[in-house]
Amino acid sequence: MSAAALASAGPASCAPGTPLYGEIVEFLYREADLLDSYRFGDWLDLFAEDVRYDMPVRTNQFRAAGEGFQEMAFFDENFASLKTRVKRLETEFAWAETPPSRTRHFVSNVLVAPGERAGEFAVKLNFMLTRTRADHGYQMFTGRREDTLRSVPGGFKIARRRIFGDQTVLTNTNLSVLF
Amino acid sequence: MSAVSTLSHAAAPASPFTRLSNGEDLSAIVRPEDGLISRRIFTDPEVYALEQERIFARAWFFLGHDSEIPQPGDAVTRVCGIDPVILIRDDDGVVRAFLNSCRHRGMRVCRTDRDNVRFLRCPYHGWSYRNNGELLAASCENHYGEGELEKSALGLIPVAHLASYRGLHFATWDKAAPPLEEWLGDMRWYMDIIFARTGELEFVGVPQVWDAECSWKFATDNFTDNFHVFWTHQSLVQLGLLPDFPDFAAHGHMVTAGNGHILHFVQGAPGEEATMGLGLPKSMWPRFAQNLNPAQAEIAMQHGYSAGTMWPNFHWLQLTTAADIETQPVGILNLRLEYPLSPTRTRMYSWFAIDKAAPADYRKISYENYVRNFGPGGIFDQDDMENWEECTAAAMGPAAKRHTLHHRMGLKRKPDPAWKGPGIGYPDSYGEMTQRAWYGEWLRWMTKPFAGANGASR
Repeated sequence: MSAAALASAGPASCAPGTPLYGEIVEFLYREADLLDSYRFGDWLDLFAEDVRYDMPVRTNQFRAAGEGFQEMAFFDENFASLKTRVKRLETEFAWAETPPSRTRHFVSNVLVAPGERAGEFAVKLNFMLTRTRADHGYQMFTGRREDTLRSVPGGFKIARRRIFGDQTVLTNTNLSVLF
Repeated sequence: MSAVSTLSHAAAPASPFTRLSNGEDLSAIVRPEDGLISRRIFTDPEVYALEQERIFARAWFFLGHDSEIPQPGDAVTRVCGIDPVILIRDDDGVVRAFLNSCRHRGMRVCRTDRDNVRFLRCPYHGWSYRNNGELLAASCENHYGEGELEKSALGLIPVAHLASYRGLHFATWDKAAPPLEEWLGDMRWYMDIIFARTGELEFVGVPQVWDAECSWKFATDNFTDNFHVFWTHQSLVQLGLLPDFPDFAAHGHMVTAGNGHILHFVQGAPGEEATMGLGLPKSMWPRFAQNLNPAQAEIAMQHGYSAGTMWPNFHWLQLTTAADIETQPVGILNLRLEYPLSPTRTRMYSWFAIDKAAPADYRKISYENYVRNFGPGGIFDQDDMENWEECTAAAMGPAAKRHTLHHRMGLKRKPDPAWKGPGIGYPDSYGEMTQRAWYGEWLRWMTKPFAGANGASR
């Protein structure tokens, strides 16, 4: 059965243990592998051309005020700007990543639900990204990610990505890494 | 080693006030008049300790913009110097700033980054303050004897002075500080061009805040530096986002406006509309003449780039850049503040601001342009932080600290008599006269004896 056909079959079809869930988790792992092996052009190919990719700024708030995400972002990207970032990393002059950081992208706690549109899936997960750079110590980024994956022939495209970081003050110099 | 790299330790008579414990005198190792700045001042814990009392406890610092706290009760937590403060609009609409610390045991009383509050209640023992700082209630008041709890004298500790210019709120801990307008002096003329060119500005949303492992002074040093752009941001040149010739940001003026305030205005290619009018849409250009005097309006009209530093650590960046490789360049206005957490660790604040009169489509593209190029995720900014961290790392050792950094470009350059603004305008916007003026002010604050801490509460 194709992923698109399964998408109309309801939440049970993408629960852990189902073939569809397995396909999606494998897709996420392969994406992480592309980033950690500096294959940024191949990574960009995973995105739909109408993608929006953002990372809102978080503030410290009481629980009653919600999670603290506010108007302003660390990333607010479309396909053209992701392409700009990838092309930049492919030059010899992106000093923040030249020589490159060593990164390790971990994804876990993956939950999949049918998306708002047929053929799309709402994927919620926790991420941890570690970076070591030059002779510096470890830096770590953690948070929740909410992706919309769209079934396409032969796999999926990332149609939406929201990155909800845990830190209000980023203690890690910059965001020259991709999520 | 060349003569200009190392410094003689005996170049100036040392006083106990300005002599470091290794025998070096600050005024001998920081020589802005020669363009030679000791690497020691960027990493040395002793210099940092002196900076805290001599600069961060005394100077005027930017806290926040009026548009960040529009309603009574609106509050943001910031620093004044390096001390945590609450910037708050009280129930009567008066903007106030207090040390973010209870008068009882010193616990932080405002514990969110941005809020709307009528009262600030300390979690430790429940002391409660009105949003004008008055102590409303302590706890267990019946256990205090007569004269043991003078509530009227136990309000939150206010900054010594709080004042605003063009919607920007500044504060100082020094009761003897000059009035803000006097301190800003001629810089106000240039601030008008940035902060009042089309009417009022709005600081959008919240600032991005992040830390880098660098000296705060490497960050300040960078803001009026034009000739790093072609090389540090070469990746953007490669992508066609910046012009592909090294002198592209040289057509302009460097300005020293007194009291260490510094700035530049840079022109784009002749006739290129995108880099005229500060990158604002053409429909807004007539507003310059309505809001500025003719000389100011002409400067706004003719330039696409500007950076300025309100000494010591608050900056504007007015740039014309593109949001991505498929989008035309537009203007962005970025405000920056950085302060030290330690000699080698710095916290940065970065705000995006927009003219309230800006059309909606410009507001959107200018915002996208800002987020993608500036702040910790920005493809412009991230390469700057790489420089600041590595400059800091290489200035840690005892050998490096015996050497200077080179700030000699334009040392003999003559002012341009045709420059129409106040202060001193130098032709050719590649030059280090602005940084020399900044370090000159730094040296003045670090070597001038002062009365010492004042305003202490009992």
